[in-house]
Amino acid sequence: MRLLQVSEFVEVVNTILKETLSLEVFAVEGEVSGYRVSQGQWVSFDLKDDNALVNVFLPLWKLQVPVEDGMRVKVIGLPRVYPKYGKFSLSAERIELTGEGALRKALAALRVRLEKEGMFDPSRKRGLPRFPERIALIASRESAAYGDFIRVLSERWGGLKIDLYHVVVQGERAPDDITAALTQASSGEYDAIIVTRGGGSFEELMCFNDERVVRAIHASKIPTMVAIGHERDLTLAEEAADVRGSTPTDCARRLVPDRRDVQYELATLLSSIETEMLGRVEHGRSLIERALNAPASWIGLQRSALREQTSRLETGVRQWLRSLQERLAADLRLLGSLDPKAVLSRGYAIVRDASGNGIGSATLLHSGDALRVTFHDGEVQARVDGTDQQKLL
Amino acid sequence: MAAKKETKSIDVAKGFDELEAIAAWFEQGDGDVDQGLKKFERAMTLADSLKQRLDEAENSIRDIKKRFTSEE
Repeated sequence: MRLLQVSEFVEVVNTILKETLSLEVFAVEGEVSGYRVSQGQWVSFDLKDDNALVNVFLPLWKLQVPVEDGMRVKVIGLPRVYPKYGKFSLSAERIELTGEGALRKALAALRVRLEKEGMFDPSRKRGLPRFPERIALIASRESAAYGDFIRVLSERWGGLKIDLYHVVVQGERAPDDITAALTQASSGEYDAIIVTRGGGSFEELMCFNDERVVRAIHASKIPTMVAIGHERDLTLAEEAADVRGSTPTDCARRLVPDRRDVQYELATLLSSIETEMLGRVEHGRSLIERALNAPASWIGLQRSALREQTSRLETGVRQWLRSLQERLAADLRLLGSLDPKAVLSRGYAIVRDASGNGIGSATLLHSGDALRVTFHDGEVQARVDGTDQQKLL
Repeated sequence: MAAKKETKSIDVAKGFDELEAIAAWFEQGDGDVDQGLKKFERAMTLADSLKQRLDEAENSIRDIKKRFTSEE
């Protein structure tokens, strides 16, 4: 029997553990309990099942998935005894989520976190150019999605220059592959970046929920469209993209217009431009016509005004003359009725004395007085024969 | 010559105003005969001048129009 010091013993145990249980040999699956992060850089939690428990320890930077109590995870790492405290733990190299429930829970947490950072902010989204000329296509060369995309694209529009960034679109390598392709394409001279793959199971599509992929899409300097095949759940990559296509085919439709639509649109546009121009010319003509006729119309108006004034004047003058004549006639009638000669013609006579003074009363006369009596048709000399003072009435 | 000069220089708008004022004067039916006759004569002269002015203007318009349409 060998006698070992404590530190020697722990070292022997750790060596045996390391040699026997290397990373390729096993992974441990269990439920997370007592998850905590200390000093902002060390993660530790208990991994347990119904009958046993083991402590897991790792630096925070190695943790690529969100972990919380109650989740089922798979831990890949080395078991070792920490010499200072004699504590046995699993020093993790990588942690993966297992089971759809855990994946979904983790995904929900990641979505909340990224959303808070504004990764899905609709106001940041850019539109695609209407007629892209050069695009970066991030897809798997062997996939049906790639074939569908290219086929529909060439059916609709020609002359597009496409650079394919071949990537694996599922599995462990996929996030790194896609992230690298995105970063590289983003520094290229493209009008748009397209990321596409066909449909798949929730787990198969997890690379499109990877935080690195989402961040690379968000950081892309070029408008990016992501289209993942028919799937009920939207991946975070699609949410972060500027434009989302529902399938690779839809993606092609969104990227380029159909040449027949464009031809029709052009024809319509030309025709409406022509109509508009002709309308303007016609409008101009009618303006000129109106302007040319305006002086003549003005003269016509002036003429009729002149006619009106002249006729008003003539009527006025006639009425004025008539009123003057009527006044004259009325005066003449009045004068006629006052003329003493008119009285004489009715049989009266004027009696005057020899000197021509009018005699207005019989009492003024005496026998022998000479009189001049004026009738309407002449005058006679007379003498008073006698007086009779009897009143006539 | 004097009449022609007046035609050239007559202000159509003012001419109409004066003509209207004279018509109104007669419509009041009052006034002195000599004054009335003078006014009537003035009105006739004005009306004649205005008519001539309008004739001339119409001719000018026709000439200008002809000159431009024949140049087309």
